[in-house]
Amino acid sequence: ANMKLLLIFSALLGVSLCLETFVGHQVLRIKTKNEEEVKQLQLLESLEHLELDFWINPSAPALPVDVRIPAVSVQSVKAFLESQGIEYSILIEDLQDVLDKERQDMAESAQRQRSSSFDFGTYHTLDEINKELDHLASEYSFVEKIQIGESYEKRPLYVLKFSTGGSKRPAIWLDAGIHSREWVTQASALWIANKIASDYGTDASITSLLDKMDLFLLPVANPDGFVYTHTSNRMWRKTRSKTPGSICVGVDPNRNWDAGFGGPGASNKPCSDSYHGPRANSEVEVKSVVDFIKNHGNFKAFLTLHSYSQLLMYPYGYKCTRPDDYAELESLGRAAASSIRSLYGTTFQVGTICKTIYQASGGSIDWSYDNGIKYSFAFELRDTGRYGFLLPANQIIPAAQETWLGLKKIMEHVR
Amino acid sequence: RAAAAAVGYLQYRRGGPGRGLELRALRRARRQDIDDVGHKYSLELELEDVLDKGRTVNCTAEVLYHLGSKSTAPDVQATVQGELRSTEEADKEFYNRMRSLQKELVAENIPDSHGNVPPELEPIHLLAWVASGYVIWQNSTENTKFHLAQVKRVKQVKRSDEDLQFDYVLLLHEMVSQEVIPWEVTVLWHPQRGARAPRDRRQPGHA
Repeated sequence: ANMKLLLIFSALLGVSLCLETFVGHQVLRIKTKNEEEVKQLQLLESLEHLELDFWINPSAPALPVDVRIPAVSVQSVKAFLESQGIEYSILIEDLQDVLDKERQDMAESAQRQRSSSFDFGTYHTLDEINKELDHLASEYSFVEKIQIGESYEKRPLYVLKFSTGGSKRPAIWLDAGIHSREWVTQASALWIANKIASDYGTDASITSLLDKMDLFLLPVANPDGFVYTHTSNRMWRKTRSKTPGSICVGVDPNRNWDAGFGGPGASNKPCSDSYHGPRANSEVEVKSVVDFIKNHGNFKAFLTLHSYSQLLMYPYGYKCTRPDDYAELESLGRAAASSIRSLYGTTFQVGTICKTIYQASGGSIDWSYDNGIKYSFAFELRDTGRYGFLLPANQIIPAAQETWLGLKKIMEHVR
Repeated sequence: RAAAAAVGYLQYRRGGPGRGLELRALRRARRQDIDDVGHKYSLELELEDVLDKGRTVNCTAEVLYHLGSKSTAPDVQATVQGELRSTEEADKEFYNRMRSLQKELVAENIPDSHGNVPPELEPIHLLAWVASGYVIWQNSTENTKFHLAQVKRVKQVKRSDEDLQFDYVLLLHEMVSQEVIPWEVTVLWHPQRGARAPRDRRQPGHA
């Protein structure tokens, strides 16, 4: 067998290989069955003129051998392995393709780094998010960071105000992260903020929207809960308020609004993840938004982001009857879902909260709708359960992009 | 919700370290109220093997929730149309790898907070779906919708017989109540015999 080996490869002795590219190089994984085969591979390894590059060297029968083979030798090495009955598979068909793709990825990543030092495609801490809000406010004259209140643990509730002028123009409200474990929502809100800011002046739809209306965006509606998901319990949903007489902490902020408060679909037990709290607006995070919106007096749309389930819902949740504007909201919802689907094929189901997900009292969009804000919608973003709350970071931007199309559709209608 | 129960059952029966089944779409559903028995849901499902995402597999299922009883599992019958992608080689490789480990495998937080699953833990993750599938099937009612939120902890337990054993602490998310419930499940698995969940319990105490 050794003589055969030498005969086959002696023909290649004279070839000099200048390895500037890896076009046609293949990486094989060789599965040896016994010591004899290992020895064959070790002999192959010793033939330096072949310039075989062993990524895993032959050592023992149980371990795979990975080897990069220059283009000129690929066929003869394979012929040799086959003649010896040694099993192999192709790990990489053409190494240059892999390297080219890698270089492209790195260039794109560097490009992203250059254009903005904030990586929207990864999850951030509260401090990092607040820093980026400051950055957006400082970079764009029509973006302002305002504080509408404080959380239970005294963290500021920051809202980005997008306004190109006027005085108390009709406004759109958008919030995210009211349930702190729904991390794709805070992350998407940030991407959306940047999208709106950077596209004003170039995108016809956003420009026309902001020329007539103001937008208020609350990216982290529940900062205490959000910090808690980073420091202690990734699955935390509620606020972090203390309940007298109970060892359990927190109120479900989306059962705490004054809309059918205390009715079916919310719990009166403090330890429950859907505990509605002692009374409506008991949570300062909720009250701050209510006060802000009431004082402003000119909101036309109230939009809120949740995850997961891929749903686009309108009132009601606290009762299972249709709102007066059912036809319009259903139609607008479907149009928005259609826009969402147009990007990556992600399907969102449309309907009232009660029919689509469950009966739930004390919810934010029921309150906004019953207080005269007709265009009240709640989004449940990706996914449908495979990762649930733990959506991989590489899905943040796609989720934000498709959600933005849905929001835009609604905003265009409101305008 | 009935579809979620059916999918749980299917994940238990047909899933493994090399196969995770997901619900892609619920095509059709019909409910029949049977006097003195319960509510029967007839479903047409579209499933997807997460490791074979190119295609969907059709499935018909029947879920019967027994009247009045909150403590018996729904009866589930399910038929998958066509063949699922073979996992024989991957199963064998996983089995041999686990049997030959010097130290018993221990891992936590799969996926991690950012949704990452290290590739070498993917089979353990998929086996957790099998485990959660059993618990979900056994504990589903018309008022629940369960998903596996996270594997909190998994510990391999070496056995003198041929099965692999993994003791899981799973976090199950129940959509209607929004609770995330820790559940301890022991899973026995063998490449030919499939999975069994001989022991499971809701973890006592409350976070």
